[in-house]
Amino acid sequence: MNPVGRRRPDWWRRVALIVAALALAFVVLAPLTSIDAAQQAGLPLLTDKLWFRIATTVAMFVALASGWNIIGGLTGYASFGNVAFFGLGAYTVGVLVTNRGWPFALALLVAPVIAALFALIIGLPLLRLRGHYFAVATLGVGVAVGEVVNNTSQLGASTGLFLPIVRSDLAFFYLMLGAAVVAVLTTWLILRTRFGYGLLAIRENEEAAAVIGVNTTFYKVAAFCIAAALTGLAGGIFAQWSSFINQENVFAISDNVQMILMAVVGGAGTVFGPVAGAIALELIIQTLAGGGSGAVYSQIGLGVLLAACVIFIPRGVIDFFGGRSRLSWRYLRQTLRETSA
Amino acid sequence: MSQFTQQVVLGLLLGGVYVAVALGFSLVWGILNIVNLAHGALVIVGAYITWDLFTRVHVDPFLSLPVDALALFVIGYALQRGVINRVIRAPLLFTFLLTFGINLVIVSLLLLIFTGDFRSVTPAYSGSGLHLGSVIIPYIRLGGLAVALVLAGVLWAILNRTRTGAAILAVGADRDAAQLVGVDLRHIYALTFAIGAAFAGVAGGIISTFQSIAPTAGDPYTLQAFAVVILGGLGRVSATIAGGLAFGLIEVLGQSAPWLGSGYANAIAFVVLVIVLVVRPRGLLGRLA
Repeated sequence: MNPVGRRRPDWWRRVALIVAALALAFVVLAPLTSIDAAQQAGLPLLTDKLWFRIATTVAMFVALASGWNIIGGLTGYASFGNVAFFGLGAYTVGVLVTNRGWPFALALLVAPVIAALFALIIGLPLLRLRGHYFAVATLGVGVAVGEVVNNTSQLGASTGLFLPIVRSDLAFFYLMLGAAVVAVLTTWLILRTRFGYGLLAIRENEEAAAVIGVNTTFYKVAAFCIAAALTGLAGGIFAQWSSFINQENVFAISDNVQMILMAVVGGAGTVFGPVAGAIALELIIQTLAGGGSGAVYSQIGLGVLLAACVIFIPRGVIDFFGGRSRLSWRYLRQTLRETSA
Repeated sequence: MSQFTQQVVLGLLLGGVYVAVALGFSLVWGILNIVNLAHGALVIVGAYITWDLFTRVHVDPFLSLPVDALALFVIGYALQRGVINRVIRAPLLFTFLLTFGINLVIVSLLLLIFTGDFRSVTPAYSGSGLHLGSVIIPYIRLGGLAVALVLAGVLWAILNRTRTGAAILAVGADRDAAQLVGVDLRHIYALTFAIGAAFAGVAGGIISTFQSIAPTAGDPYTLQAFAVVILGGLGRVSATIAGGLAFGLIEVLGQSAPWLGSGYANAIAFVVLVIVLVVRPRGLLGRLA
């Protein structure tokens, strides 16, 4: 091994950290200058409303991927039903604002509570299942809740709900950013507590965890509820931001798969993996969608990306930046050899 | 009363379709330990082939079923050999994500080729049926059930009466041991998936005769195939038949309840799924492995 090869990960990590810190500072502070000010200063990035939209979407997926990471990455229960929490959060805000005339801020506080309550109810039976059974049962939750909403006239049925339009790119960007920060901080905090170690123990070996005194049912359900609350919060913000919600835009299973993919590509079970994955993938997806004839090609792109990530980098990119491995042909070949027939 | 009998008959006929859809799904799951989220997409590919042959060259939909099977067999073999074999030893989540990606690609390609318009196959006999007293049995549904039972018989014969079938079962029981006695794992994996896909294609051909098809019409069938396998239990052809017929009954009777409606097909599937999973995690007829 040559010394350059060994020093490289350190060097990479430092660069990545600096770039990340700069990017974060830019993302947080730049919008404060407001669109008008940015226009005068000639900052191209912020004059464009599209970029605001993309930045807000990225922040939303950071929150969603981090939320999924708590149940899927830390606890090892691959939930395909998180989109139900997103939809429930969105519909909670939607119903309270349109039908009850609540102020948005108050309704937004209720959204995570409803999502967490729902997680508690379905978590108790479903978290007894494992592997495929848990995955598909939760997939069913997402589909079924969406279908029930789609058939309930009080919830707008298939027409959906229209919320009063609030035009403020800035406010929604900061709200989503706030949700993302809360999600990441929650993950960080969990990993530093007894609770977090309990979750990791469950992921590694549930029986062993139970034997050493982890109350597995309580831990799993609690993790599920926390994930649901974070997802529901993002859903609530989304409802007011998009000002129109229906089954298709808040209960899309592909959104759920996107959050899983982001967490997995970034590095499931880590604090910053889902963040890196969400930023990278959402930018790729937006680029594909922006490339002309729209949705169909972006879906094909997403599918191919999904396959490529799963086949070649199953341990996530954080594996490279954490200095544990280097991205090389040898790494890809070895990954292939370990998992293929 | 006669209305109830009619509902039961329709439920069993619908159940036949679910048997056809679930056979391949169950085979792939049981042998390869893959829950194939692209199964519904493969079903719809079969449906489009039947539709294409029917509208262009006026081939009777039931005669085009072998073409569906052959085409999907080739597609399935290539998919497993070229793509899914690469992650077959990875954790469950990865095969799940991979098959979802394949599903996305297939559905998008179908959208590009056939657009999102609803298509239907309408042979001359599609409206008529057998009158037994006050109960009417539509011919196409009856044909569908018959094809499903033939498929089940074929699968049973392949698995239990051929050398290849023995190899497939051996791989399902213990991959490493099967390899030790000289089974070519990659080939058997691909072959198993190809058979599953071929069955999906035939199921799609049947579905095209009584339902309008669109590229996304396959997604519910994946969930329903899963529910059927859970209901019956994994690992036996007879269990899939029982599960499929039972599920068809539950769905038709559930939807005929006055306070529900046809919009709740997936919700019913899900509720059945959860109840069975929680009460009997191995399925109603499954072996206690």
